[in-house]
Amino acid sequence: MKIIELKTTLFEFQLDRVMGDANSPRGRTRSASCLVELITDEGLIGLSIGGGNSIPQIQSLYEGIIKGKDPRSVFSLWKKMVEKFFKGGHDGLANDAISVLDVALWDLKSKINEEPLWKTLGASKKDVNVYASDIALPMGDLEIGNWYKKMAKNYGFKSAKLKVGLDQDSDLRRLEIMHDALIMNTKDPILYIDSNEYWSPKQTIRKVSEMEERFSLGWIEEPARRWDFLGLKKVSEALKTPVCAGENLDTLGDFLPYFHHRSADVIQVSHGMTGITGALQIADAAYGLELPVTLGGSTGIIHAHLANAIPNCITVEIPHPEPETKVYEWDVKIENGYAKLGDKHGLGITINYEELAKAKVNKISSGSGPSPYGRRPGAGLYEIPPSKDEIKEASSK
Amino acid sequence: MKITDYRLETYLEQMDRPLGDSNGPEGDDLIVSNILIIETDEGISGVAPLGNKQVDNLFKIIENKDPRETFTHWQNMIRYAFKGGDEGEVHNALSAIDIALWDIKAKINNEPLWKTLGSDDPKCKIYASDIGYCLDDEELFKFFERMSDNGVDSGKVKIGLSFDDDIRRIGIVYEALAKNHKRPRIMIDSNEYWSVKKAIQSINKIEEKFDIFWAEEPARRWDYRGLNLVSKNIKAAVATGENLNNVGDFYPLIDNQSVDILNVSSYQSGITGLRQIGNFAYAYELPVTTMNCIGNYNAQIATSIPNHLMMEVVDPGREKAYSKWNNNIDDGFVIMDETPGIGLIVDENKLKEMQNTDYGRKPKRPWFRREGAGLYIKELEKKEVKWK
Repeated sequence: MKIIELKTTLFEFQLDRVMGDANSPRGRTRSASCLVELITDEGLIGLSIGGGNSIPQIQSLYEGIIKGKDPRSVFSLWKKMVEKFFKGGHDGLANDAISVLDVALWDLKSKINEEPLWKTLGASKKDVNVYASDIALPMGDLEIGNWYKKMAKNYGFKSAKLKVGLDQDSDLRRLEIMHDALIMNTKDPILYIDSNEYWSPKQTIRKVSEMEERFSLGWIEEPARRWDFLGLKKVSEALKTPVCAGENLDTLGDFLPYFHHRSADVIQVSHGMTGITGALQIADAAYGLELPVTLGGSTGIIHAHLANAIPNCITVEIPHPEPETKVYEWDVKIENGYAKLGDKHGLGITINYEELAKAKVNKISSGSGPSPYGRRPGAGLYEIPPSKDEIKEASSK
Repeated sequence: MKITDYRLETYLEQMDRPLGDSNGPEGDDLIVSNILIIETDEGISGVAPLGNKQVDNLFKIIENKDPRETFTHWQNMIRYAFKGGDEGEVHNALSAIDIALWDIKAKINNEPLWKTLGSDDPKCKIYASDIGYCLDDEELFKFFERMSDNGVDSGKVKIGLSFDDDIRRIGIVYEALAKNHKRPRIMIDSNEYWSVKKAIQSINKIEEKFDIFWAEEPARRWDYRGLNLVSKNIKAAVATGENLNNVGDFYPLIDNQSVDILNVSSYQSGITGLRQIGNFAYAYELPVTTMNCIGNYNAQIATSIPNHLMMEVVDPGREKAYSKWNNNIDDGFVIMDETPGIGLIVDENKLKEMQNTDYGRKPKRPWFRREGAGLYIKELEKKEVKWK
């Protein structure tokens, strides 16, 4: 079997809530993505969703490495892609392109085996531990309370994460709101917080220590800059709360300073780290050091497939328990606070091509990216709470 | 598809030549072997060239389960072995089951294991390894010459008991390999016989005469400080790990920079465990090298390990129970074919024949640890090896 065609389709859609973190209190309501399809000579389609900013790199990797190859040899193709970017490094846009192609190759490999991805990876159909993730710092207290209640009631979540960082009083209040929504399912909900590299290590230590007086936290995510292995370590040693970090790292090698200095207590892993192939490597390395991992949000909740195939996964992030757009459907269901894996072959994602045609765009509009406002002023120095103007804009969305 | 049954076959085999290292220099050509065969309800069966009676305890974990779910079965076995640990007899049985399940997984896909693991490369680079302290100079030369003529450019020799003899024998290996290759790679293996300081002294003296690629097991397997000290005091890479059980055992060695090259195999918690160790080492920019094994099936796994150097080939002739194995060596590589699974097909008739053979003697292995190990060198006695 050979891969004979690559298709990329950019599309945009409206989100179900105003989303953003400490870097973007204005929030955004549009999202953009890219459907990447690898088509074989036997008509099978391997798909992957992402990589909208790296289409030139995707095309170049396809032409130079993937075209004409057997999709089953996903490891060898991964290695060739990684080695192609040796000089400039396989991070940034190169990593985005490698990741999205690797995922599409795994989709094909398991479709060829006529089995779901979790089975190709050697896992079984066990329920996967998951948590609800707001990614909604711009949302008002009432709306965010309703969102957590909906997550608890409709999907049974017993754990959830809150975006924090700009206003300590507001963060303390919202932690309470999140806690109170989850207690319908458990006496002891697990509360995670995420400051998205907005704080300096000492700011984190001060703020989280104050939170720890009232709450027992599951982890503090990205409490210092991604490369600051000493700062992360300092935070971990000063707090009772585990440090969770790694989301913005790209490659296995990027984790070496974390591993060597034990900078993080929980390692963040995703298919965006040179693909499923890379994610499994990082999880294995963490396992060798007795470090647990957590898998981030993923279209199609494909991380639930991986979670059962790695030895040390705590939980998987769920920003959207159901598809955010009609462009695709997936067969992972969230029930009683767990992800239930399906039996569809491959990743279990189905594309609605009529809806895709409607959502298709020629280029991604500037407000639709995951972080349209860049890093917020004050980051790493002092907090600048949302202005009246920002709050007004967020609440109008 | 469901796992329905298993069969464990034990037999005694006479190899084509004896094997011996610094703990058993006299060598022996008799070997006790096991074959584990796991059966499914659809006629596909999985093979592993190892196993023991502990399979009986572990089998209930996988009975009636889907064999494709290899990771879950591995994890359940590890959990079962929690209290006693993934070591000893249970460890061996667990590794055997994992290998047989991967064999089934690949056979279901009707492809060789190297393809199931995502590789497009059927060629695994190899090095020659004598495990032949018992071989005389001529036999030693002939073994490495044969490998050299097959394109092999690297060789490992057993040493440790007699410095002058060791130097001579390293020279023989070099000469045989140099017949076809400029600057062949030479590795030495003292199998934990030396103390840390003895290793540093001996290897430095050897390095005055030879460029050594790696020195294997120059100190005890768990002595992470000793291994680190050796690595700092020799030019050659320190290779170790063959007697460790799993990825967790490698933690102190990697964390303390005690090892430059990891000796890995599917005896380290199966194929699942081997791949974990490969990835762990990859994160630390450390290469791994796969061990010798019956039927060379480690090659099936090696070509999808991102940091794999080369695989050890001893080739003593211990595959008489198989009608097919990964024996195609050409131009310094094992070349794998399209046989589904790990590439081993059991010859039931030969197996029965060996099981019914009376060799008139008992195998000498496993070797006791040799007297003096870690303390002083107990010189080879005359007639302990035929060349002395």
